Amino acid sequence: MTGEHPALALRGLAKRFDSKVAVAGVDLDVPTGSFYGLLGPNGAGKTTTLSMAVGLLRPDAGSARVLGHDVWADPVHAKQLLGVMPDGVRLFDRLTGAELLAYHGLLRGMDPTVVDQRAAELLDVLALGDAGRTLVVDYSAGMKKKIGLACALLHGPRLLVLDEPFEAVDPVSAALIRDILQRYVAGGGTVVFSSHVMEVVERLCSHVAILAAGTIKRVGTLDEVRGDRALEEVFVEVVGGRTATGEELAWLSR
Amino acid sequence: MAVPVNAAASSGAPVRRVSPRHFVRLKLRVMGNNFRGQGWRIALFVVGVLVGLWFAGTAFLLLAAPGLADNTEFAGLTAAFAGGLIVLGWLFLPLVFFGVDETLDPARFALLPLRRRTLVSGMFLAALIGVPAIATFLGTGGIVVSAALLGGAGAAAAQAVGIVAGLLLCVAVSRAVTSAFATLLRSRRVRDLAAVLLAVLAALLGPLQIAVMSAVNNADWQRLSGVARVIGWTPLAAPYTVGMDVVEGRAWAVPLKLAITAVTIAALLAWWSRSLESAMVGTAATGRVRPEAGLPGQPVARLFPRGTRWLSRDRYGALVARELRYWWRDTRRRASLITFAVVGIFVPVMANVGGKGLMDGQNDFDASPTLVGLSMLFVGMLAALSLANQFGFDGSAYAANVIAGVPGKVELRARLVAYSIYIVPLLVAISIVLGLFLREPAWIGVAAGTLFAAYGAGLAITLFVSVFGAYALPETSNPFAMNSGAGMARSLLSLLAMVGAGAAAMPMVIATALLGEVWFWLALPVGLAYGVGAAALGTYLAGDVLDRRMPELLQTVTPRR
Repeated sequence: MTGEHPALALRGLAKRFDSKVAVAGVDLDVPTGSFYGLLGPNGAGKTTTLSMAVGLLRPDAGSARVLGHDVWADPVHAKQLLGVMPDGVRLFDRLTGAELLAYHGLLRGMDPTVVDQRAAELLDVLALGDAGRTLVVDYSAGMKKKIGLACALLHGPRLLVLDEPFEAVDPVSAALIRDILQRYVAGGGTVVFSSHVMEVVERLCSHVAILAAGTIKRVGTLDEVRGDRALEEVFVEVVGGRTATGEELAWLSR
Repeated sequence: MAVPVNAAASSGAPVRRVSPRHFVRLKLRVMGNNFRGQGWRIALFVVGVLVGLWFAGTAFLLLAAPGLADNTEFAGLTAAFAGGLIVLGWLFLPLVFFGVDETLDPARFALLPLRRRTLVSGMFLAALIGVPAIATFLGTGGIVVSAALLGGAGAAAAQAVGIVAGLLLCVAVSRAVTSAFATLLRSRRVRDLAAVLLAVLAALLGPLQIAVMSAVNNADWQRLSGVARVIGWTPLAAPYTVGMDVVEGRAWAVPLKLAITAVTIAALLAWWSRSLESAMVGTAATGRVRPEAGLPGQPVARLFPRGTRWLSRDRYGALVARELRYWWRDTRRRASLITFAVVGIFVPVMANVGGKGLMDGQNDFDASPTLVGLSMLFVGMLAALSLANQFGFDGSAYAANVIAGVPGKVELRARLVAYSIYIVPLLVAISIVLGLFLREPAWIGVAAGTLFAAYGAGLAITLFVSVFGAYALPETSNPFAMNSGAGMARSLLSLLAMVGAGAAAMPMVIATALLGEVWFWLALPVGLAYGVGAAALGTYLAGDVLDRRMPELLQTVTPRR
């Protein structure tokens, strides 16, 4: 059954906050086994789109399906297949790393012995074992991303949705996260992540979608989207950034 | 190509002084923006204003009455005692009930090149903008009327200065104490000290109340006037008694008393300024270095606190274990636990023992099982009220439970059980302490039964409040911080819930009043069954609602940035 359905299918997702339209109808098909980058400038609606896709934010219109299960109509099945790392969302950070993993595992209805075994392994691989009894609230930014990733991976989801996984992460931790994600995709998993760091997307992704002002502007495989240009060039052109002429802000130079 | 910038233009750019007025405008703007497009917030705020005006009007009339009745002696008494009560209210109410309005979070100013003096005076002035402060100012206006009627323009002018000074004192005291208390609680090591501090402060109310009671009982005006005179020379009532000093021909006391007030305000602001600094820079690192444990154990075993072997190692058990840890590790929750422990012991003891007139040994106002029941009703409801914003405590971390799809009933039941593990032993202790204190061990059953009934009924109602009336708490280290200018309206919702819970548990008190000795035996089992039943019903009904509202609830408790 996983063969016939895309890992994630969004249809006409829309959301407005008060008078501001955050997402204006997003359609997206994420093929199973792909490494999918969702690109967009700040405020483009990436977080809002992903929140609606995983069941954290109720859309005004549209639907989201995870491997054929509707996230809003059949949340139990959809959420079992889904691992999520939201951005800017606090973890239950007054627990230690090990406690947090145990909490997430049991919350997902896993067997305690399996939780123990996987949690220990994840802490070891992500180099968080040394943190010992430090509470997650006292972790560095990179460590927080890593423990968030571990929480999302613990129950062995088929689809991993990550919001800004490389934001404020040091190069060593970023390399580790990249490595784990590549292994996960190689093992048949699907990853969707949002970012505005072009190099990371160019290096990792098989597919790319560019989101701006609440709608998808470009979508396809990495090669389709960038053609023979650099991804950054395409991105800036699509999003409509301006280039400085050098006349303004003259007082900055002395 | 860049226009060369000469040194004079860059360094000589006029640096304008930041006046406290900017802070006031900032606060008004923040309050205004909070209302934008939120009809219910405006409605709640209007209700808050009306209640504030009602209190102010009542106080105004009470304080102006002695002047209208032309009773100089009584005017002196009311000014001293009411002034003292108002200042004490500003000292304790923010700690116990309402929280302090932290619309302007000091941490946001950390990077701006502001001198601490500017910051403190600005924050202080901004703190004056608010319903409670304005209501206090209007209410105390009654003293000015009294002074004017009794002593003419001079007394009125002195008193007008006095009530302004008094208002400054009130705001300063509430800011300094909550801020210092927050700093204290942030550090794990001094949390016990903080508990003791609050207990001592609360205990100060006891002797005062007993003194007042005995004085009223004896109707010994001479003695009462003596007490009032003493209070008038303390910072508690100094600013509120200057008008009467003029009336009674002690004009020389006015500058002295205003000086006392000014010195107190200055000291409080200095104190506040110190804890403000630590609130500005000390939020990131709490300096909590804990020794590595010799034997960490497996992750699941580490999640469950000691003494919870009986908890199943599944979703429900994990929720309970996490909540148990959080009631202790989260400063906001810990603050509310500690405050309840102190208030829960002191309020009933004072309400019942004070009535017994321990001081003069006269028993003209006996404690009765009914009175005990009423005070227990209050304490039980207060205990349940701590859960009114339980999801707000979690903030955006609640997303984990939404993603995992935790059923509402399991979620709520786990939260109730975890909280009750802390509260039920406290409730038992309160009833035993009270029974022994009153030397009426037979009443322990009635007290405990009423407590459980009120606690259970309170939980049932509070669960709905927590699902429908949740709000985001600011991400600061101050456990007493409330977010918007609508803090008072939030408290009103809680008070409404208390009234509902009180009505639901009232049969226990009525039974105590009507039935005789039989009830002493029946009260505990009946109350326990009633409380457990009410809580179970509340969990069942509110759980259904929660199932449908989980994403919406997450939105309301996520702080907006």
